[in-house]
Amino acid sequence: MSTSNQIAVDREKGNFHFETDYAYDAGVGLSEDVVKYVSGVKDEEPWLLDFRLKALAAFEGKPLPTHWASKDLENINFDQIRYYLSKGQKPSRTWEEVPDDVKNTFERLGIPEQERKFLAGVEAQFDSEAAYSRMKDDLEEKGVLFMGSTEGLKEYPEVFKKWFGKVIPTSDNKFSALNSAVFSGGSFIYVPPGVKLEQPLQAYFRINAENFGQFERTLIIADEGAEITYMEGCTAPKFETSTLHSAVVELVALKGAKIQYITVQNWSNNVFNLVTKRALAEEEAEVRWIDCNIGSRLTMKYPGVILKGRKARGEVLSIALANDGQHQDTGAKMVHAASETTSNVIAKSISIGKGRSSYRGLVEMPGRPSHCKNNTECDALLINAESETDTYPAITVRGRDNSVQHEASVSKVSAEQIFYMQQRGMSEPEAMSLCVNGFVNDLIREFPMEYSVELKRLIDLEMEGSVG
Amino acid sequence: MSIPSPVTHSESSILSDRTFFDDFASERSWEPGWFADFRKENWEKACKLASPLRDERWRFSQKSRLGFSKVTGLDSSEESISFESSDPSEGVCLRKLDKVILEEPDLLGGLQEFSGPGLGADESFHFARAFFEAGFYLKTNRDATVKEPLFIEHNPGGENLARFHLNLIELEPYSKLTLIERLSSSVGDSNGFFTNLTMIKAGEGSRIERILIQELNSQSTFHNLENFEVCADAHLSNVAVHLGSAQTRVESKGCLSGEGAEFDISSLALGRGKQLFDQRTMQHHLAPNGKSSLTFKNALLDQAKSVFSGLIKVENGAGSTNAYQSNRNLLLSDTAKADSLPGLEILANDVKCSHGATTSKIDEQELFYLLSRGIPRSTAERLIVLGFFEEVIEKIRIKDQLESVRESISNSFDT
Repeated sequence: MSTSNQIAVDREKGNFHFETDYAYDAGVGLSEDVVKYVSGVKDEEPWLLDFRLKALAAFEGKPLPTHWASKDLENINFDQIRYYLSKGQKPSRTWEEVPDDVKNTFERLGIPEQERKFLAGVEAQFDSEAAYSRMKDDLEEKGVLFMGSTEGLKEYPEVFKKWFGKVIPTSDNKFSALNSAVFSGGSFIYVPPGVKLEQPLQAYFRINAENFGQFERTLIIADEGAEITYMEGCTAPKFETSTLHSAVVELVALKGAKIQYITVQNWSNNVFNLVTKRALAEEEAEVRWIDCNIGSRLTMKYPGVILKGRKARGEVLSIALANDGQHQDTGAKMVHAASETTSNVIAKSISIGKGRSSYRGLVEMPGRPSHCKNNTECDALLINAESETDTYPAITVRGRDNSVQHEASVSKVSAEQIFYMQQRGMSEPEAMSLCVNGFVNDLIREFPMEYSVELKRLIDLEMEGSVG
Repeated sequence: MSIPSPVTHSESSILSDRTFFDDFASERSWEPGWFADFRKENWEKACKLASPLRDERWRFSQKSRLGFSKVTGLDSSEESISFESSDPSEGVCLRKLDKVILEEPDLLGGLQEFSGPGLGADESFHFARAFFEAGFYLKTNRDATVKEPLFIEHNPGGENLARFHLNLIELEPYSKLTLIERLSSSVGDSNGFFTNLTMIKAGEGSRIERILIQELNSQSTFHNLENFEVCADAHLSNVAVHLGSAQTRVESKGCLSGEGAEFDISSLALGRGKQLFDQRTMQHHLAPNGKSSLTFKNALLDQAKSVFSGLIKVENGAGSTNAYQSNRNLLLSDTAKADSLPGLEILANDVKCSHGATTSKIDEQELFYLLSRGIPRSTAERLIVLGFFEEVIEKIRIKDQLESVRESISNSFDT
């Protein structure tokens, strides 16, 4: 089985770059002045500037987590990154108002206009600010708020300030502190009690400036009994030097609410994707993270759920695909802080060529709450001889009324399966592709239809040239 | 109200005191020169160890409980190791280490290359190499089959005293051996510090079954560091039974260095009171066609705590590896705690590796079944715990040892 010629077809698709006139630019590097500048451009209230400055101090005080994480983090040069960039535009209300060059970028991304009309509301992020934001009238009638982070904090402080930075404290980790200092962009969503959104809300993110870190901040609040599905997908153009992406996503599911958060991450191969995602689930609430990581150079992402109310439920479904030069370090965190809470983690990873995928998990049952249950399964598939995979779960259980089970396996594609298919006239790469798709099929089915079709295609593309 | 005494920040122990070491070294000036150098080098390493604020290898552990800060000296009194005869059967050489140092120090030439498990307890590893006074040396000849199991007993030190044992076991190709080591406190309630550093090299095609039964008193601090090297087509099986001690740190590393090596390690620990069992393991596959299997079972009562951290590491080139790791924890009280960190690091693709970790209480239905047949709850729990451990116990294939282990477990429920 030869391992040469790893074709990364999808990389080229994003290899374009439009000259963009950046009306606001904070320059490169990070300092108090940059933070003040960002805050000033956004015309923020003093408390928010304070919040940012404290976060900056926290960021500077924290060491890189290299005692457990990849040493590759040391290659991030924080002084060469642009921390803020904006067109200075107000989020547009209609498609016609969106500037032409921005539209052009989206055209290349292949987001069909019909799809946007069809979907309930689309907010596409162009660099830091929302370039296009629209919701169908009926959503507005229901009282659903869907806007950018700056707008949200300015227009509805009584709704968003209460939970802002509460699920993920500023000093949670070095990168959440960084985000808190310089965040811009991202979505703020509030779904009123009992409102069930039938169609998913979507946001497309896009990095489009060399060395430009994207620090979006998302906060979704589902009030009692509300239901929402949010989808985020990203692609990025290819750049010469490394780009940093460090988002903070906070979800709040109040009593009986349901939140489903779907991510397809396909950044270009030079992006450091260091994301903090966490949800708070109150009584009988349910939070599901569905996460698919295909791109980036190094992704570190461990979506978590703090099960704070009785009978809350948390779930993480994760697919990771690591090709040459990539390290997908993903996982899940489940903190069972109330009785009768349950959680489920299913992670599948595929390592191709010299790619490396890691699963890092945390399950905590501190003892006082009882009758908690967790199930974790992680399976890894290794395609080539140089492929790597790791599994590092950490499970803490106290008290006799809780139960946890964790299982992980690592294997390669079975030669018998390949033989069976070849015998029936399939070529080896076809057979391999089919096996890999079969391996992740039960998870891919959990994605909305248009995503699952796209994902299957992406996996096929990544597999091309890896065998034969 | 009593005023708490001021905290003395003397985390470092007398063992790292220069005069203490110099006194120790001068008492042993009769040893060959390279011995003195070896001890000194290790002592210096132990003293120089930086303790990083956060060390993954000590995650979830209570490192302060496992240190040597309360040690006031070394216990070099009476015999701390005993076995029946020095040449128990043909083709095998079994000696006390102190005798070897005195009479045939050259047998220990391999000591320098003797690496530890390196899973975090660097301090006790280097102290053991600096201060060891006893232990045993065991070597089998090529093709020798030792029919009767060898039986070795270790006794730890007295009140506040530390004792370090160093054991070297070497199996020449195609030899066979069964070894039983029992650790028990001769002094009733002393809080001795016992470190047992063992290196086993199983040569090509050899077979060794080792059983370690730890029944130290409830005040002891125990470090059990073991490094196993399994050569081509050799088979090494290790069973550990931990019933005693106040706190135990176990580090077991198996290196499958030759093609077709097999490594089988299992352990059971029954914790009560405030007992701590801190277990770190590694199954390191360096050659193709290796097979390793690990089973660690902990049953915890009262406020007992266990930490299991295991890693299967498969290097590139160790194709057709088959590795398994399982950690099962049974919590029998509301305050017992189990941490589990099963890990995999796989750098080869032609492998079958898996691990499983579970933590739960006694199955209600099993309990109900027994209760409904008139068995009292305490007996039912004991039976279930015995059943839970049976998978490990049955690997002890020597009848009287197996029964005594079962009995010890059963008896510990009476107190």
